[in-house]
This record gives sequence, structure tokens and C-alpha cells, in this order.
Amino acid sequence: MDTLTHILNGFSVCLQPINLWYTFVGVFLGTIIGVLPGIGPSAGIALLIPVTYGMNPTSALIMMAGIYYGTKYGGSTTAILIRTPGEAASVMTSIDGYEMARKGRAGAALAVSAIGSFIAGTLGVVALTLFALPLASMALKFGPAEYFTLMLFAMTCVSSLTGKSPAKGMLSTIIGLMIATIGIDLQSGQPRYTMGIPEFQDGVGFVVVVVGLFAVAEVLRGMEDMFKGTAAPMIRISGRLWLTRDEWVRSIGPIWRGGIIGFIIGVLPGAGGTIASILSYMTEKRLSKHPDEFGNGAIEGVAGPESANNSDTAGALVPLLTLGVPGGGATAVMLGAFIMYGIQPGPLLFQNRPDLVWGLVDSMYIGNVMLLILNLPLIGIFVRLLYIPSGILYPLIVAISVIGAYAINGSILDLYLILFFGVVGYVFGKVDIPVAPLVLSLVLGGIMEQSFRQAMTISGGHPKIFFGSAITMTLVIMSAISIILPFALPRFKQWARGSA
Amino acid sequence: MADRVIFVCIIVLTAVYFYATAQIPSLEIGDPLGPKAFPRLLGIGMLFTAGLLFVEMWRAGKNGTQESAPREAADWGHLKVIGAVVVWTAVYLLVFELLGYVLSTIVYLIGLMAYFNRGKWVANVLTSVLFCIISYIMFVKVLGVNLAKGASPFSLICTGLDAFYDMVARGVKAVVAAIGMF
Repeated sequence: MDTLTHILNGFSVCLQPINLWYTFVGVFLGTIIGVLPGIGPSAGIALLIPVTYGMNPTSALIMMAGIYYGTKYGGSTTAILIRTPGEAASVMTSIDGYEMARKGRAGAALAVSAIGSFIAGTLGVVALTLFALPLASMALKFGPAEYFTLMLFAMTCVSSLTGKSPAKGMLSTIIGLMIATIGIDLQSGQPRYTMGIPEFQDGVGFVVVVVGLFAVAEVLRGMEDMFKGTAAPMIRISGRLWLTRDEWVRSIGPIWRGGIIGFIIGVLPGAGGTIASILSYMTEKRLSKHPDEFGNGAIEGVAGPESANNSDTAGALVPLLTLGVPGGGATAVMLGAFIMYGIQPGPLLFQNRPDLVWGLVDSMYIGNVMLLILNLPLIGIFVRLLYIPSGILYPLIVAISVIGAYAINGSILDLYLILFFGVVGYVFGKVDIPVAPLVLSLVLGGIMEQSFRQAMTISGGHPKIFFGSAITMTLVIMSAISIILPFALPRFKQWARGSA
Repeated sequence: MADRVIFVCIIVLTAVYFYATAQIPSLEIGDPLGPKAFPRLLGIGMLFTAGLLFVEMWRAGKNGTQESAPREAADWGHLKVIGAVVVWTAVYLLVFELLGYVLSTIVYLIGLMAYFNRGKWVANVLTSVLFCIISYIMFVKVLGVNLAKGASPFSLICTGLDAFYDMVARGVKAVVAAIGMF
């Protein structure tokens, strides 16, 4: 009963005019960021952090969440019209969505992704509302050892699931952790790895790393593509922005299934929206009576993945809010923002600040309605953004990144760092090293070391504490499995084939 | 090939990190682990990663999936362009605090657009100038964010923009007040 009161109270928070306004700003910016190439949700949220300093944290977080789920709506637009996913998770949409557009069904493709996103997005928020509290109350029993092993599990999953090579994923994770150790050690007061640069005593800010890796690197890649001249021709919106009866019937199943797949994948660390949409695409293809249509403009191939990547965002907020441990890049940036406002997400937040938690969750119901309106009747306005020449757009993104990075501390060193991490991100992209694990471990690094040392202090310096309880034991075993599995799996297949 | 370079980089990075860890002075009071324990763990993790990468490389080599050499050769043309963009950006950042946000960014943007949006001078110059002025006013005056104003003669641009904004704001306020009177 108490919970229900809190949930309803959340509506009274998010329906305040000021919070409605920030929800709108968030989802509006999210749609723009989703439509525009070169800037994704992680960089978008990071760039907003300095602007929101003076704001009420609830409003700021509502706005950031709006950007996060809003990009998923916008990302499908470019996938359908120019076969370029505006956002990584829309990559599956670009296959059948673009084919539909070429056949004159662009309107239907855009409509089904907006409607599917709305239904699945709302479904995801309902599930988030239902699952958050039980999980949070379980996490109340967590001590430092449990937290350390939980973070370890999140990191090993992200390492082995993002990108093609688990070793490179792990490399990215550990580089992030190493960057996190730069600065004054809070327990002993010793400066570590500052290289004599006074600014480094406070550590390397995650905002500059995110802006460098996600915005600047993306601009460099985009400029390279421009130089090579590889771009699919843009297709104008054709056909009514609505579905025929037959298309409805074909889409409704994929939307529900996609929504459920997306939420589950979202809750699990590491996988994220891209894998959710790929899984949904494969499921629909397997269930379909005419699998040969997939790749040639099957509406199920748009409806399923688009729904999956939207409910994924709601799912991804579950571990962030209830445990305080994000499972991916964008939620890691949100955790960084929480911490900057002096708020530690996790089980205690549900007890101490129910207004904030439920205001945030409830704002997502409203945000999804706003997004449906923005992305269906008003999509024509956002499509105009695609007419901005890339040669103008990319330089402006660099300028915006510079503003955002300089705004944090007014430090010129931060600007050199975004350029440095921009180049790093570009090179990492060339050699297939994923960058999302780096961001996750950079944000979590400080907390992880702290819980490691607390746990070791409790146990008197003996690592047995990490194997001491059922929870830690399970998490350690699962971490080990997540590393070994990608290696063992091909082996296992070979072995099975050999013995058959 | 690329993987071999990464492998060497990991080893070098780990060595440097271990060396730097050894340099941290520690007093070992109260905290049984001190500031070095976690970093050492990371160093060990890195060596483990190197081992994993080695296994992956060995496997890829056995399956004969080597990268094709011609692709590498074709990469040089655009690498030069990306290199030029990086250098141009570095120059921009070097003069950022001297020239101030507005002037340095206008020059930087026009330079980039001149190459990537070739031939459209009017649109490029107009976008650059308007973007810088509007973003300056929006971030500094409206959102209260700090941006470099530049050293003395160049800071005049920002001072001018500040004065212009204040004048407009005063005008708007006066109009609003006047409307309120009636």
C-alpha cells in the first residue's frame, strides 16, 4: 500500500509544470540526438551535465532519462530513410526499414516504429515499476563484498558481450578502471598517476572521456565516411503515416514479443539495445511463415527490433536504480550524473528519496506519450534535420563538445583530453576495441575500489570474503562463466561435431 | 597485424602502470591494503587480458582469417585527412583561451567547413558566425556557463556581446513593464 502511494506521489512530482517541461526538453533533445548522426545518448547526456548544475536533481534526471529513451525513437528515422542507424541499437531497423521505404512504405515503417516504440516503451516502464521495489529490497542486504562481485559481474558481461572479441572488451574495461585510479586516493590521501599535473589530482572527469569517445571520435569517423563518399541515397517519406489493417495484424505480435525480449535483455548487464534488437529480429524471422521476406522489407523486421530497443531502456534502468550498478554505457553516464548531484542510486534511494525515484519512473510514462506525438504527426520536422549537410553538422558537434567540456571546470586541459579521447576512440573503432566497457568501468571504478577495500578491511585482509556468502559465490561463478563461455563455446561446438 | 600491435601496447602499458604503482608512497596505517593493492590487481588483470588476446590471435591464425593487406594500403588517403582535422583541432584548442571562445571557434568552424562543405562560402560563414554568437549568448548569459572570453584585445568581442545582450534584455524588460502598466 505504501508503495502504491509512492508510485502515485511520483505522478504528482512529474506532473509539476517544471518537470513536464524538462520531460519535454529531454525527449525533444533525445529525438534530435537520435536523428542526428555523430552524437548518441551517452555523449548527449554527458554534454548536458554542466548545464544542469544549478538545477533541481529530480528535474535534471528526468531530462536525462528523456534523452536516453528519446534517442531510441529518433534513431529509427535515419535507419529507415537513409539506411544509417542514427543510434547503434537501430541497426536492425535499417535492413527492412530502408527496404520498406524503397517500396514506398516509408510512412508505414516510421509509423510502426513509433507505435511499437510506444507500446513496448510503456510496457517496459510498467515492468520497471513492478520489479524495481522487490529487487531494491533484496539489494538492501548487500555488503561491500556483494557489491564488488556484482560490479565484477557487470564488467565481465559487458567485456565479453560488447564487440567481437572478449579480450578486447576486457582490455577496454581495465583501461577504464586504470583511468579511474588517476587522482588522489581518498582513503590514504596519496596522489596516484597524476604525472605531476595538478588538475589530475581530482581525477579524469568521465564527461570529457565520454564526449571524446562518443562525440569527437564519431565526428572523425563521419568525416572519414564523407571523404570516402559512402552514403545511401535519402528516401523521402511516402505513403500515409499509418498502417493498413494487414500491417497491424502482422506487427502486433512482434511488438509484444520485442517488448518482452528487450526488457529482459535490458535488465541483464552488458547486452544492451543492439543485442536486444538483433535477438528480436532473429526471433521474428524464425517465427515467420515467410522468412524470405526478411531483408526485403518485412514489417515484422521493423516492428520487433524497434520495440525491443525501447523496452530495453526501461529494463536498463532497473539495475541502475535498484542496485546503483549500471549495465551499459549510457546508464553509466547517468550514474555519473547521479553521483555529481550527490545522489547514490541503489536500494536506499527508494527509502530516502521515493519522490525522486518514482517521479523519474513516472515521467517516463508521460515522456513516451510525448514521444509518440513528436515521432508520428511531427516527424516531418525532425526529418528536415537530415538536410543539414554533414560538412556543417560535424564541425558544429565538435564546437558543442568543446562548450560542454569547458563548461565543467573552465579548464583547457579538459579540451585537450576530449581531443585525446576522440583520437583514442577513433583508433579503437579501427581495431575493433569497444568503448562502452571503458565508460562503464571508469564510472564504476572508484566505487568498485572502495567496496573492494572495505570488504578486505572487514575480512582482515583475506580475500575469502568474496567467496563467503551465497550471493558473492554465485556472482563470482557467473563472472567466471561470462569470461570463459565465449572461448569455450566454439570449442564445445567443435567437440560436439567431432563426436557426432 | 593490428592485434599484434595491441598485444605489444598492452604489455608496455602494464609495465608502465606497474612502475607507476611502485612509485606511490604509502604509509600502510589503518588501511590494510593501502593505495597500491587495487592497482596491482588491475595490472594482473591486464596481463590476463594479454593472455586472452594471445589465445584469440593464435586461434584466428589457425583458422587462417588474416586481414587482407590491400585494405591497409587504401586507408592512407583518409588517414591524412583525419590527421589534418586532428591537428587543426589541436591548433584551435591552443589558441582557445587567447582568442576567446567566439573568435577562435568562428575561425575553426569556417576552416573545417571550407574543406568538408566546399564551395558554399556564404552558408558556411553565416552558420559559423551565427552559431558562435547564439551559443555564446545562450550558454554564458542564459544558462550561466563559463566560456573563455579571451585575452585583451580579443576579449572585446565577448564584452561587446555581453553589452549587446544586456541592452536587449533591458529593452525587453522595459517593454514588458510598459505592457504591464496598461
